[in-house]
Amino acid sequence: MSRAPSLSGPLPGPFHPRLEAASTAKDWADWAGVLSPRKLDATGREYFAIRNQAALIDISPMRKYRIEGPEAERVLNRVVTRDVAKIAPGRVGYALWCDEDGMAIDDGTIFRLGPERFRLCCQERMLTWLIDAAEGLDAAVSDETEALAALALQGPTSFSVLEAAGLQVSSLRPFDLAEPEPGLLVSRTGFTGDLGYELWIATEHALALWDRLIEAGRVFGILPAGMEALDMARIEAGFPMTGFDFQSIHAAERPSRGRTPFELGLGRHVDFAKGHFNGRRALLALKEEPPKRRLVTLDIDGSRAASGALLYRRGMFGRWREVGHVTSALWSPTAKRNVAFAEIEGEAEGADLFAEIYLFKEGKWERRMARARPGPRAAFRPDRARATPPARR
Amino acid sequence: MAERLKAAVIGAGVNGLVAAAALARGGCEVTVIERGAAPGGMMALGLFARGPHPAALEALGLKPGALGPAIPTVALCPSGRHVLVEGAEARFADGSAHPGAERWRVLSRRLDRFAAALAPLLTGAPPPMRLRAEGLPGLLRFALRLRLLGARDMRELLRIGLSNAADLAADALPEGPLAGLLAFDSVLGSRAGPMAPGTVVPLLLRRAPLRRMEGLAARLAAASEGKGARLRLGAGAARILFEDDRAHGVLLDDGERVEADLVLSSLGAAQTLALAGPALFDIEAQRRIGAIRAQGAAARVDLDFAAPPRLPGLDPAHHGARLVLAPSVQAVEPAYDPVKYGRLPALPVMEGRIDGARLSLTVQCVPHDAPRDRIVAATLAALETVAPGLGGEVRHAGALSPADIEAMTGAPGGHWHHGEIALDQFLTLRPANGMARHAMGPPGLFLCGAGAHPGGDVTGLPGLNGARAALEAMR
Repeated sequence: MSRAPSLSGPLPGPFHPRLEAASTAKDWADWAGVLSPRKLDATGREYFAIRNQAALIDISPMRKYRIEGPEAERVLNRVVTRDVAKIAPGRVGYALWCDEDGMAIDDGTIFRLGPERFRLCCQERMLTWLIDAAEGLDAAVSDETEALAALALQGPTSFSVLEAAGLQVSSLRPFDLAEPEPGLLVSRTGFTGDLGYELWIATEHALALWDRLIEAGRVFGILPAGMEALDMARIEAGFPMTGFDFQSIHAAERPSRGRTPFELGLGRHVDFAKGHFNGRRALLALKEEPPKRRLVTLDIDGSRAASGALLYRRGMFGRWREVGHVTSALWSPTAKRNVAFAEIEGEAEGADLFAEIYLFKEGKWERRMARARPGPRAAFRPDRARATPPARR
Repeated sequence: MAERLKAAVIGAGVNGLVAAAALARGGCEVTVIERGAAPGGMMALGLFARGPHPAALEALGLKPGALGPAIPTVALCPSGRHVLVEGAEARFADGSAHPGAERWRVLSRRLDRFAAALAPLLTGAPPPMRLRAEGLPGLLRFALRLRLLGARDMRELLRIGLSNAADLAADALPEGPLAGLLAFDSVLGSRAGPMAPGTVVPLLLRRAPLRRMEGLAARLAAASEGKGARLRLGAGAARILFEDDRAHGVLLDDGERVEADLVLSSLGAAQTLALAGPALFDIEAQRRIGAIRAQGAAARVDLDFAAPPRLPGLDPAHHGARLVLAPSVQAVEPAYDPVKYGRLPALPVMEGRIDGARLSLTVQCVPHDAPRDRIVAATLAALETVAPGLGGEVRHAGALSPADIEAMTGAPGGHWHHGEIALDQFLTLRPANGMARHAMGPPGLFLCGAGAHPGGDVTGLPGLNGARAALEAMR
């Protein structure tokens, strides 16, 4: 059954019966047209499941595109800035892509299912873009968002959960993918920076997979989680998000909202040697200029998350001068640090910055100027995320 | 001494030949690659030319006077009272005064002044999307010319500039063959009716005197060769070659490689993209090129008679003139309407001339793939309105639909201008946004055909502008 965009609001996704049953909070949001839980019960509890146990998160609303054919690799290389040839079959690679002016459209992951078979997963709708990219090339593009359900199983016990469910994935290294059972694809990927897996299955088998994982995970503390907990984890892990930390140029009304990979700190994913790709000529010119702005991670004094804060530095005669703003912020419960993604003017990099944080204290707003220092890209980066085989817990 | 730059020009139509001459004059070693056995491209199918433009002739080293005498137009009328038009002068073909003559003169002179004000926009790069220093002098020159028109004329140009030819005719002329001629010239070669917005623009581009087409292609080719261009006839371009994201030459159908630092294509943008391979272009550019409206609506028809055909009211002395059958604005617009739905009109409009026992015509308002016999039948039906019984005297009839013309010449959609001349495909937006300054995709590749700025007809200006842009980029 297709889920056409509806005027009546977001529609239930493939796991909805289970999410509905698990939801005590009844806190629903619209994620790409699909009814998705902000939280099922309490965000804090779900977040700690990601960090200390295992969390099961429905990521089916991600857009999933299949690109297949003798020239599928060329199609993707035409779109993304990295060299897709370097993703071996059975591997997953991060990629971002730009418009003709070198401004980021979206980022996502490319699954190389075979020499001529790829899957692209991302947030933005890219079907017509990919179809146009394939014009004149021998490859077929299809949207499998509706046909494919996806679950993220993230957290230190996630490997044990899969093992208990009878899925043999011990040899999977980070960014590997495998098909432990026909029709079930498992990749060691995720948006939490921790040990974790993503599972991809035809929509009609979605509920059975959910039940199987919940059953197997009971002893390992598995908990369904919502979007808020996932968002906390990804900020800690240092993963910028389209629509929050930068705006897709395709979605932006204001051309000035466009950001280059260099400005986003993703310049290492731009491969000028691989031949032409969308925006290459513009990026080649932009590479020579110092970026006008930078997406950075900050470590901010205090424990109040600096969501939406404007950033200042001391100017002439001690006046505050605005030099940027926070795009995502979080008091990291695991790192015990007040972290944020922020966009700052290029020349403000390395300067002493202050975040203007507003606090609502029993009916009254108070302002605090909190010192903001450059932070590591990832506030939380455990070794267990990379150990192969993963530890059993 | 630095080695001479090598340039390859694809297509030896008027624009390819002018581009080649301008490149040769700019110091390049130029090879023109033409698939056909003779130079000229679409010129072989045209009957009349208003060009090339003096600036293009200068690049070829030709004088405007060398092109032969200008010819008059006879606007045919079913009543037999045809109207003879020579530039701004109009009178009945029998020599008597036409009641609309004065109004025709006033309108013609005004359009001439407007065309002169627009001229700086045509012979150089179009105004830039974002105003930068290099675009400023051209824009200022245009603004000054506009202002020098005087308040009244300037206001009038701004009023009619975006308007349509039917309204202009209704304001300025009595309905009839003169108004029909104006409407006809506003849509000739286009897929549009005179009520379409923007149809005044083609009128402003068509102020130069008319001449017969034949012999012109050979003369232009000879002049281009005289400037140092090398013509390779019967050599089709199979692919445009690139190295390190730069144009590097052209691969011919027979496998030969023509090395070049600059490649100029007088083909349509879509055809050029196909020769270069879409993977070298950004997806946005490919989308815009795919959206260019280029579907021809003009067919060529040749009718052979046993003896020179006689049209009632037409003096055989005017057989060499351009004959236009578009008896009124109210005849041109309905002729266009069915084309929108892929149907032939009952009475198409046309221009033509009589050479001995042959009547050659360009028939306007023909759907892209209309069957040839139906084109002939509709043409004869229209001709019967001015010459009853003419159809019965035809010994042999031949027609080329826009689809045939496309197959013969490679012109996109068989379109005269390689793309509609309309407000959304003009100046900065011609052939498409981001390509108006002739550069297209990888460095070293340029457009120089009718689809490029400023557009079609036999002006040679896209070729000249394309060559200038290419030379500038190498500086």
